[in-house]
Amino acid sequence: MTRLSPAAARWLIVAVVLALWELLPRLGLVAELFLPSLSSTVAVTVADWPEYAQNLLVTLYEVVLAMVFACGGGILAGSVIGGLALLRNLLLPVFSSLYAVPIVILYPIFTAWFGIGSESKIVFAATYGFFPVTLATAAGIRTIDPQLLIVARSMNASLSQQITRVIVPASIPTVLAGLRLGGALTIVGVVVSEMLTSAAGIGYLVTRYRTVLDSAHVFAAVIMILLLTVVFDALVRFIERRTAVWQSAGRISRASLREVVAQPAPALG
Amino acid sequence: MQHLAHVMPLDGHAAAAAIEVTDLDHVYANHDAEVAALADISFLVEAGRFVVIVGPSGCGKSTLLMILAGLRHATGGTVRCDGEPIARPDPHRVGVVFQEASLFPWLTALDNIEFPLVLRHVPREDRRRRALTMLELVGLAGFGEKYPHELSGGMKQRVSIARGLVQDPPVLLMDEPFAALDEQTRMTMGHELLRIWDETRKTILFVTHSLTEAVYLADEVLVMSARPGRIVDRIDITLARPRSYEMMATETFGRLRDRIWRQIRAAP
Repeated sequence: MTRLSPAAARWLIVAVVLALWELLPRLGLVAELFLPSLSSTVAVTVADWPEYAQNLLVTLYEVVLAMVFACGGGILAGSVIGGLALLRNLLLPVFSSLYAVPIVILYPIFTAWFGIGSESKIVFAATYGFFPVTLATAAGIRTIDPQLLIVARSMNASLSQQITRVIVPASIPTVLAGLRLGGALTIVGVVVSEMLTSAAGIGYLVTRYRTVLDSAHVFAAVIMILLLTVVFDALVRFIERRTAVWQSAGRISRASLREVVAQPAPALG
Repeated sequence: MQHLAHVMPLDGHAAAAAIEVTDLDHVYANHDAEVAALADISFLVEAGRFVVIVGPSGCGKSTLLMILAGLRHATGGTVRCDGEPIARPDPHRVGVVFQEASLFPWLTALDNIEFPLVLRHVPREDRRRRALTMLELVGLAGFGEKYPHELSGGMKQRVSIARGLVQDPPVLLMDEPFAALDEQTRMTMGHELLRIWDETRKTILFVTHSLTEAVYLADEVLVMSARPGRIVDRIDITLARPRSYEMMATETFGRLRDRIWRQIRAAP
């Protein structure tokens, strides 16, 4: 018997889940209220497509802007904190503690300040995503092998050359890991804040249809958020692969990587 | 006493020296105490010579090399290269090879070798041509597109040597370059380094804590004492060139190694 390739196995799992999704409600094993069937979910998505598209655009707009602020601000703050020993000692413990605070408790304050439109979502989600990006960037800069900087200095590299040619490329893998986490949190932030108080966006649709117990419409909205995160994840992976070949392959050579992937046990993203 | 002529300024002919160190002192502040790292160091290395510095760990031999590389400023004395003081790092005059190969992991072997040229905005074709020549010199032709993690320890150190030589500096400083390698690779690399030296005729100042390596490689060995590091002995290695592994078994080799060991042990 030939063994299933990991890719084929993944598709098989997806197919099984979809089949169960359709069959369980159809056969009456699960009530449509708890799990609307795949076909009815697709049907409402198609029927109400203009409404979904319009709200998806609102969410997308908020997510993109929040990510720009979270990533831009996080990288900037992280570079300064990671680069200057004084700030690092002062601020890093504070930032690490702040990271543990459930920032969602601040959302009512944000709505008071910025209203219930897109602004409050963008500010809230950007704040949410800002901390992991800051912490990862600071860590990335702090953990650079000092020997690499000595090497660059022995070649008489100027400070700007040390930054652009050594510090930036050396910290890219850690920063990307932070962007991945921060970006995902930004999506969470936007959707959660839309669910709490708003008049537009996919999160708003989830809340609205849930209140009227229209499960098929809720599921259609959930699927859209899922797709959004999947697309985001694929995008980050693509960037990671392009910029940090040396890192992902750093500890495991390509050949042994293939071996590891061929084994069923360890999950390798 | 003929060998002393190579290291000591006997008269006014110091201008020919590739490296000239005069009355060098170095004191650094460690918390609130001052630590004397180097004391009263003077020596002269003639162009094209292979000089090895040995000493106990913590004797400041790496500090001495960092000062020669322009990476640190000594608290006293002067360091000259071809008669000119070394105020800051200058890879045109002095190339440096570090203990850990310290290649940039995100660059291929060729890009690593080209790195110093990139810093100087050397045109791309020119850069590539010189890097390829260096790659061939260190015996890595065909490995240019490999990343450091795809290379063995010895190969990484070869790339590092190529990078140190790519700007064609007359002087190459090497800070325990083979210390992290296993014994067999280390022997091969020593032999390879002598071949590269023979082809390029650079002045090499090589720091090590291995007595065997010192005797095998050097024209001349400078023995340093424990902190504060001073030069306690200068030994001319009279073994013929080219060196061979068989020489390690000879009585002369053993006697030279023994003399260095006694100096290190006797030093306070």
